[in-house]
Amino acid sequence: MGHTIKTRRFHSVKIDKKKCIGCVRCMQHCPTRAIRVKNHKAVINEERCIDCGECLRVCPYNAVIPITTSSADLDKFKFKVALPSPVLYSQFGQHVMPNEILAVVKDLGFDLVYDEAWMCEMTSRAIEEYLDENKGPKPVISSTCPVVVRLIQRLFPSLCDLIIPIEPPREIAAKNLRSDIASERNVAEQDIGIIHITPCAAKMVSINYPETMKKSNLDGALSIQEIYNDVMLKLKRTKTPRILDAHSQISGIGIGWTIEGGEIRGLKYFHSASVSGVYDTIKILEDVEAGKLRNIEYLECLICPDGCIGGPLTVENRFVAKSNVLRLIKTFGGKKRVDAHFVKKLYKEKYFSFEAAVKPKPFAPLDKNREKAIRKTELIEKTLKRLPGTDCGVCGAPDCRTFAEDVARDEAQLSGCLFIRKNKGKK
Amino acid sequence: MRGKAAFERVFRIKGGDFINAGESSIKIRNILKDIGADPDIIRRVAIAAYEAEMNVVMYAERGLMKVIINAKNITLKVEDKGPGIADIELAMKPGYSTATEEVREMGFGAGMGLPNIKKNSDHFDIRSTLGKSTRLEMIFNLNGTYD
Repeated sequence: MGHTIKTRRFHSVKIDKKKCIGCVRCMQHCPTRAIRVKNHKAVINEERCIDCGECLRVCPYNAVIPITTSSADLDKFKFKVALPSPVLYSQFGQHVMPNEILAVVKDLGFDLVYDEAWMCEMTSRAIEEYLDENKGPKPVISSTCPVVVRLIQRLFPSLCDLIIPIEPPREIAAKNLRSDIASERNVAEQDIGIIHITPCAAKMVSINYPETMKKSNLDGALSIQEIYNDVMLKLKRTKTPRILDAHSQISGIGIGWTIEGGEIRGLKYFHSASVSGVYDTIKILEDVEAGKLRNIEYLECLICPDGCIGGPLTVENRFVAKSNVLRLIKTFGGKKRVDAHFVKKLYKEKYFSFEAAVKPKPFAPLDKNREKAIRKTELIEKTLKRLPGTDCGVCGAPDCRTFAEDVARDEAQLSGCLFIRKNKGKK
Repeated sequence: MRGKAAFERVFRIKGGDFINAGESSIKIRNILKDIGADPDIIRRVAIAAYEAEMNVVMYAERGLMKVIINAKNITLKVEDKGPGIADIELAMKPGYSTATEEVREMGFGAGMGLPNIKKNSDHFDIRSTLGKSTRLEMIFNLNGTYD
């Protein structure tokens, strides 16, 4: 297979050991309790990490480094295509229009730039097609956020079959682009590099290790932060904005996908709900697991607060970005830009469909042997009674319960607890 | 030699407490995930435990939910102090409910609770003394581990 600029790493973040001072912030924020502090450095447990980026957000020392494609890697492709997340449109103030931004992005060294908002609206229609014929369990859950998919696989494995088996817009857009460019411009498919411009590092994981297809349609992901300065400078220094003709008709419905609620706003008559932020998402998935949300047909879950505009690799603060998006929605309106019959035809051909279903990937049990695992649950309860319950983090685990779990798994020593050591000294 | 490993826990359920309803069901699910129960079993136990807990909250004064987990199966026993059920056969019919208008307005009491519990468990037993109490027993088989 042609060129590849995909990293070999499993996760989208790494700890810079020089910068990390071993504080407990990332550890205590991690929703899957994947971080421990060992020898004054944060260590990420690769098995438990779901790439939500919370650690990246909270680290005061910039010691959590996102892993994305670098601009230098682009030269490996003969034909370079940029596919920016519509979040990019919200980053440069209220008066800069999407088509100006796209024109500038193209000048960064791409042969072609493509608006993704249009495909977001196409996907809205495809979701409606699916919901129209769905007779399975409810609520159907959105597949857009790669972290939500991984969160469900790991923490809520029983909910895997609720995930809508439709690929997110970035994947479908890339698939569509590759075949179109290859036939129209006579370029071999493997020479085309389709690069997503992303508000989060998690996309990199979904490109490197897709869960629902053999190979992602995207070839890499550049962060919005990486191109931000160049785009801003060019926008400021261009007196007459250039506009790409092909992009004069941007979908307002599609742009809405960048904020929480945007995906369901595009659905006409289904009873649906939306949630954003990793902790609220976990909370609502707990309710789904108990069967509490059976009346809801479609559930949009996004890990970043307020949606993709809250991504850790954006520049504009998310409140201003949201206001910019709302203004863009007003400008472009709620008018449908895509042909429903065309989407129906593609949907029937399974153009939007997953190649493979999302498989449950639950965390390892306390022990492979069930008898032993049950004994360990008892051991955890006993250990907990000896611990102070203050969740101080000095032992290097985020809270007393997790520490007790680590002890039961033989991954920590009880003497690691400051209070237990202190009490021993007294005796 | 030690006996067979078994995990036992009792949760108190307060009648009329819609705010904290569902908490014990979450704790039970977390234990099942810790011991590596199959996702399908977790889902079934989750639904049955939640429905049983909600029945106590909706109709009874108070109740206890006992969970026993061993290597072969999970047993949930729910016993409440409450009005009891006059006609169990009728109560087991999907859609039949004695919930008050108030409870229904909160989105509960659709008459699917008991049928759902039965549908999701491998063994189900219900006994009731009118004016005194209702007892439920549910057993879920834990077949194999999930890889």
